[in-house]
Amino acid sequence: MKNGYKFLDHPADIGIEAIGETVADAFIHSAYGLISVIVDDSTIEPHIPMHIQIDAEDKEHLLVKWLSEILYLYDGKKYLPSKIKINSIDDISLDAEIKGEYFSDSKHKTKTDVKAVTYHQILIQEEKGKCLIRVYLDI
Amino acid sequence: MIKKIDEYRYLVPKTSKAGMKIDGLIYANDRLIKQIEKDQTVDQVANVATLPGFVGKSLAMPDAHQGYGFCIGGVAAADIEDGVVSAGGVGFDINCGVRLLRSPFEKKDIISKLDELLNQLFKDIPCGTGRKGKLSAGKSELNKVLQQGVEWAVKNDYGNEEDIYKIEECGKIERADESLVSSRAKERGHDQLGTLGSGNHFLEIQVVAEIYDDIAARCFSLYKDQVVVLIHSGSRGLGHQVCTDYLDVMQSGMKKYKIDVSDRQLASVPIKSIEGQNYLKAMAASANFVFANRQMITHWTRDVFKKIIGSGDLKIVYDICHNIAKFEEHEVDGSLKSLLVHRKGATRAFPKKHPVLPDEYKSVGQPVLIPGSMGTCSYVLVGTENAMKETFGSSCHGAGRSKSRTQAKKETDADELLREMKSRGILVRGETKSGLSEENPNAYKDVSEVVEVVHGAGIAKKVAKLVPLAVMKG
Repeated sequence: MKNGYKFLDHPADIGIEAIGETVADAFIHSAYGLISVIVDDSTIEPHIPMHIQIDAEDKEHLLVKWLSEILYLYDGKKYLPSKIKINSIDDISLDAEIKGEYFSDSKHKTKTDVKAVTYHQILIQEEKGKCLIRVYLDI
Repeated sequence: MIKKIDEYRYLVPKTSKAGMKIDGLIYANDRLIKQIEKDQTVDQVANVATLPGFVGKSLAMPDAHQGYGFCIGGVAAADIEDGVVSAGGVGFDINCGVRLLRSPFEKKDIISKLDELLNQLFKDIPCGTGRKGKLSAGKSELNKVLQQGVEWAVKNDYGNEEDIYKIEECGKIERADESLVSSRAKERGHDQLGTLGSGNHFLEIQVVAEIYDDIAARCFSLYKDQVVVLIHSGSRGLGHQVCTDYLDVMQSGMKKYKIDVSDRQLASVPIKSIEGQNYLKAMAASANFVFANRQMITHWTRDVFKKIIGSGDLKIVYDICHNIAKFEEHEVDGSLKSLLVHRKGATRAFPKKHPVLPDEYKSVGQPVLIPGSMGTCSYVLVGTENAMKETFGSSCHGAGRSKSRTQAKKETDADELLREMKSRGILVRGETKSGLSEENPNAYKDVSEVVEVVHGAGIAKKVAKLVPLAVMKG
């Protein structure tokens, strides 16, 4: 598993399995997984900071909102995250600092349009010193 | 869990899963049902049958495969009095659909210029991942598109009045309210107006290879060897964000209305609730965006034909939605009911004499357009009375995936695929090789087999078979 995530097969789409020592790490890795579905992530540089604050009703909702936010930053703001740091996270809120840059046709190579983040078979499993996330994307 | 009823029908009895209020019914033959059973489609048909206020049967078309909440190829209808609306029952790609254009040309008239045509289409119609449109709509202009759909496009010279009547809902769902589409959705969509997109979306120059029903074909002005253009496109980031936004609204709404669903992707609220009404108005606005999109692509296609062939006289045969929820009247258990019909990867297939059809088509029925997988074939069918009786006037929408994109990519050499298609006389232009590999026809069910089931079950009847000459992939 490279960079803390791997892709999962789905009949029409794609899933991400992310692992981290903490929930925060697993959330970060799932976001890196999403970004690498959208673009060649090796071309993104951490120039411009962005702050994200999310409130949710439960942890699955938080994960879907978190990844939907990353997707919106790209598809709505044309901003690609490169380095992510989660300042604080619990079951219903998350605060993160991101560094990345705005999308440029000449610099970044897009791979796949992601439509949305789904609740399909969503999983956040926490065990001692390990957190496993599974989430599917509609593409 | 499933019981074979006849050659084309499999029942999912309501006893097969706790909470099912109605039966499920899957249209398939012996071979297709085996493919359908491989993933979670049957379970998803059963889950839909648990939703409050759904009537008749929870249906799956022969191209069905696992989706999110609803299966792709799913059709189900809720009573507007006590039923719910599910954003997942429409899906993220609101009004993903197809439009067929007919030309006055035969294959021999364009074949020498096919390469030039395809290159020009690729140049003039924005496609591919994230690729921006030719125009970036300002806020007020985008709002007009969302309210007016094709009417906006025609006002802005992307077509003519005649086009409007050959589009489902005349290219404008009246209920639309752009103020209920979030600024995020508008941000994602404003520069994607007039773009084809990527994934399984395409534009194909095709030729009519076979006519099965002379009368209907004549009515649709289709004839053997005629060149036609099939456009398959969706709602881009705008529609995807609208679905994301309202799934969130519906998650909270379920607590408020005490609705419990087995899969969060089936989040639903009462049709009559403010949340439900707001979703339907935002969904309608997204659908209008897509109708306008396909109208702009049509306009540029006409321009390209004019530039390269000398005439851009391409007329719309029909334009239909694949992912939509529609208010319709249907007979259920002997009485006429007002229903909200969810079609998720399915087409409307109304019969002759139906009042919403264009006058020219009232004598035969609605054209049902079934795009095949890349480089195979597509079909024109016609809606039937039997579809009204059995499927809320619905039919299949395409071939339907049988292998994942990852698996397709692993098994496909894009260059070999291109060579193979070229040897069959099919030109292909695609944004990326990986995009082409994902759309390898081997990753899909056989569209002809899907169509045979629909035809055999009588929920639409074959009119014409179309084969590709040139494919433009996003």
